[in-house]
Amino acid sequence: MTRLLDRDAVRTAFAAREAPGRALAGDAEAVAAACHAMAMRFHRGGRLLAFGNGGAATDAAHLAVEFVHPVIVGKRALPAISLTNNAPAVSGYSGTDAYAAQLRLFGRPEDIALGVSSSGRCANVDAGLCAAADAGLLTVALVGRADGAGPDIVANPAVAHVLTAHAEDPRVVKEVHVTIYHVLWELVHVFLEHPGLLDEAS
Amino acid sequence: MTGVEALYPFLYADHADLAPVLRAASDSTADKAREIVGLRTEMGEQYADVLIECAQAMAERFAAGGRLFTFGNGGSSSDAQAVAQLFLDPGGSARPLPALSLTNDVAVLTALSNDIGFEVVFARQLAAHTGPGDIALGLSTSGGSANVLAGFERAHRDGLLTVGFAGYSGGRMAEADTIEHLFVVPSASVHRIQEAQTTTYNVLWELTQLALG
Repeated sequence: MTRLLDRDAVRTAFAAREAPGRALAGDAEAVAAACHAMAMRFHRGGRLLAFGNGGAATDAAHLAVEFVHPVIVGKRALPAISLTNNAPAVSGYSGTDAYAAQLRLFGRPEDIALGVSSSGRCANVDAGLCAAADAGLLTVALVGRADGAGPDIVANPAVAHVLTAHAEDPRVVKEVHVTIYHVLWELVHVFLEHPGLLDEAS
Repeated sequence: MTGVEALYPFLYADHADLAPVLRAASDSTADKAREIVGLRTEMGEQYADVLIECAQAMAERFAAGGRLFTFGNGGSSSDAQAVAQLFLDPGGSARPLPALSLTNDVAVLTALSNDIGFEVVFARQLAAHTGPGDIALGLSTSGGSANVLAGFERAHRDGLLTVGFAGYSGGRMAEADTIEHLFVVPSASVHRIQEAQTTTYNVLWELTQLALG
């Protein structure tokens, strides 16, 4: 036997999305700054390396396909790889090394390391961002305020750009993250149309 | 302005232009944020009854031992994986439920694509894995993906509960009589469609958990 649902349950669920969705508009400047920094890296020949755990692993995959095969016809393909696709590698590494080891091996100084964590407290995502920063990569983190017990990525000085979804429900965090990375993709292309803005000195 | 800048102003023109481009980028971000908030609200109002019926039907299937199979292409394949992962390992006190994304297995996907064709990659897997008590959930932003439509055809014929997510005006998915519960995001932006689909399947999961008590 299952419980009967009513419309209040639907209303409550959708209402919970409103404030976190609106809060993103308040972070628009931080998003724009991250896009500019990412575009500078692509301009230098860098690649996007994305990673995250569980549901966030699917965001990393979505990010990679977004950049490699744009949905908008005429936009050029940009190099992006999800570090979560290789199940043998991800499951084979021990401790918090799943992404850090791949970044140390694959990462080049001009690349971008983008970690996704709905709690902002995933130890292996944090370790990946630290390894990336050590190797000279640009570091970007998409985080949220879901429960988590690991190191605080927001407080990690190795992370250059932290973009936060202002929600505690990991599902709602993910929804805001999807909008953020769609905007990241779109605005990276806007900045790439202004090559004069993309030299490191600018 | 230095002497060199005065000689070659076109080389330096863009430096002064960074601020307006950053401002335009920032405005564009805020616009997108507002747009998706509105679209989500619209989905909640338009699909409240479909969500309730669908969650109720899914909960009944799960309660009777049914499993969830998900599929889609590109960004929608990562959504298919996200839906499966959400049901399988929701965390907290939520009830884990059996779910599998049909986009995970590269050996199967490449074998079927190479030997038969890409349009059968989901239908063949559904035929191999599922029974009439199961649930098939497919996503396509256009509503026109041939392999997703073929998956629904197979699932419907075999008695599975079928749940679809599309965008625009639903495309061929809206015309198909193989999808019992269909959610169409009324937008012309692939990005906003995917974002609203994410919210809709997350709410569907929430309601399914509620229905299971």
